[in-house]
Amino acid sequence: MEDIYQRLLELLTSTFGLDPESIEPTSTLSALELDSLALVELSVAAQEEFDVPLEDSDLGPESTVGQAAELISGKLATV
Amino acid sequence: MGRSPTTAPAQAPFDAAITGVGMVTAAGVGVERSWERIRAGAGTAATDVPALAGIPADFACAVTDFDPSGLIERKQMWRLDRSSQLALVAAHEAVTDSGLDRDSWDATRVGVVLGNGIGGAATWEKQHKVLLERGARKVSPLLVPMLSPNMCAGYVSMMFGARGPSLVTATACASGTTAVGTARELLRSGACDVVITGGTEAPLVPSLITGFGQMRALADRRDDLSATSRPFDADRDGFVPAEGAAVLVLERAEDARARGATIRAMVSGYGASADAFHATAPDPDGGGAELAVRAALRDAGVGPGEVDHVNAHGTATVLNDATEARMIRRVLGERPAVTSVKGVVGHSLAAAGAIEAVVTALSLQEGHIPPTANLESLDPELELDMVFKAGRDLRAEVAVSNSFGFGGQNAVLLFTRA
Repeated sequence: MEDIYQRLLELLTSTFGLDPESIEPTSTLSALELDSLALVELSVAAQEEFDVPLEDSDLGPESTVGQAAELISGKLATV
Repeated sequence: MGRSPTTAPAQAPFDAAITGVGMVTAAGVGVERSWERIRAGAGTAATDVPALAGIPADFACAVTDFDPSGLIERKQMWRLDRSSQLALVAAHEAVTDSGLDRDSWDATRVGVVLGNGIGGAATWEKQHKVLLERGARKVSPLLVPMLSPNMCAGYVSMMFGARGPSLVTATACASGTTAVGTARELLRSGACDVVITGGTEAPLVPSLITGFGQMRALADRRDDLSATSRPFDADRDGFVPAEGAAVLVLERAEDARARGATIRAMVSGYGASADAFHATAPDPDGGGAELAVRAALRDAGVGPGEVDHVNAHGTATVLNDATEARMIRRVLGERPAVTSVKGVVGHSLAAAGAIEAVVTALSLQEGHIPPTANLESLDPELELDMVFKAGRDLRAEVAVSNSFGFGGQNAVLLFTRA
């Protein structure tokens, strides 16, 4: 789980140019200024990085980074 | 400047003051670096351009050492195709140079008009590959806003909070010139008080450059690129593709004077026309190009014998340079000193006219015409007063900059000394 979070953090910084210092597990994606297009981009990038299927509804503006990591972790466990 | 009474303008003469310039070319990032290399006549064409790896025409005038991260937030960068990044850096330099800022203007009266031809070519190629190799679900949602040719102007409007008209002109290789002419009209009509104008192009992608190669439009001197392209030379054999952007800030002359701005030169006339002849070949008589030059002269109220300097389209294709030279001689006589910067910076398509507008303004301001690089032996059939081998000190009062696009779309700007 910690590993998934770190990889997600890396993905957010490399894909969107976010400052890693600005990201907390409780940060919502909208607070990180990810708009609707960025959420789709994140979904595409996360599916590529973790090789899990994600639905459009899986990541919303009010999802936190911690929740996203848990979601991916859960999907990985069931793959 | 003399206004000839025999060429009555269609409207009262109108000078748009150039109060800011910005430029990103293969000759350098920033006006100072680009202008220095253009003045030196030192070409920039190089082989083994990484973006063109694997195709026969892997040479270009590419912008190297380009790092926009100081100006564009990292969280914005991923949303921007290179064509928009180039435009933003040039626009930032131009607006800074003008001394204007958000506090000094009415944002609703600040327009943006940029020329662009291809849009986000690299984005389109990359995402098309993703679609074919990895499937629809892996395609970026940013594909559309990154490839649309109008987005460069949209992002410049966003950068400065400029809320006046924002648009892109597309007349192929004349787009940058069309943009500057259109920007001047927005000032003349009263629609805008300030217009940020110019052009941008990032066309160095394998499919597109291969297309130009298949047209046999490109130079064929892969082993001798240090002497390529060579506009107006007897041995010219095509253009070298390039990327770049240039931006000018235009204001009504009286507004610029009232605020004590430094005026680099005036845009005093604009003419446009169509060959209505062929998709890619110029009308061999240069009749369409002549219409545009004459329209620009008429617009400025300047006689053909008063033009001191021509910044030629001068692509170094066999057809363009021959047709253009005949047209210049026929319309403007033997008086003007003629140069082409494409020997240094290559041909950046929609950005070319904007780069040449900045260069022409600097030539008037400094009283110095840069040389046509790589011109060794002037084609004897062309009979022009070419500036080559070295630049020439010339206190020109009136200069004309020509741009001719595929589609037979012609645009000409007339500049006067400020």
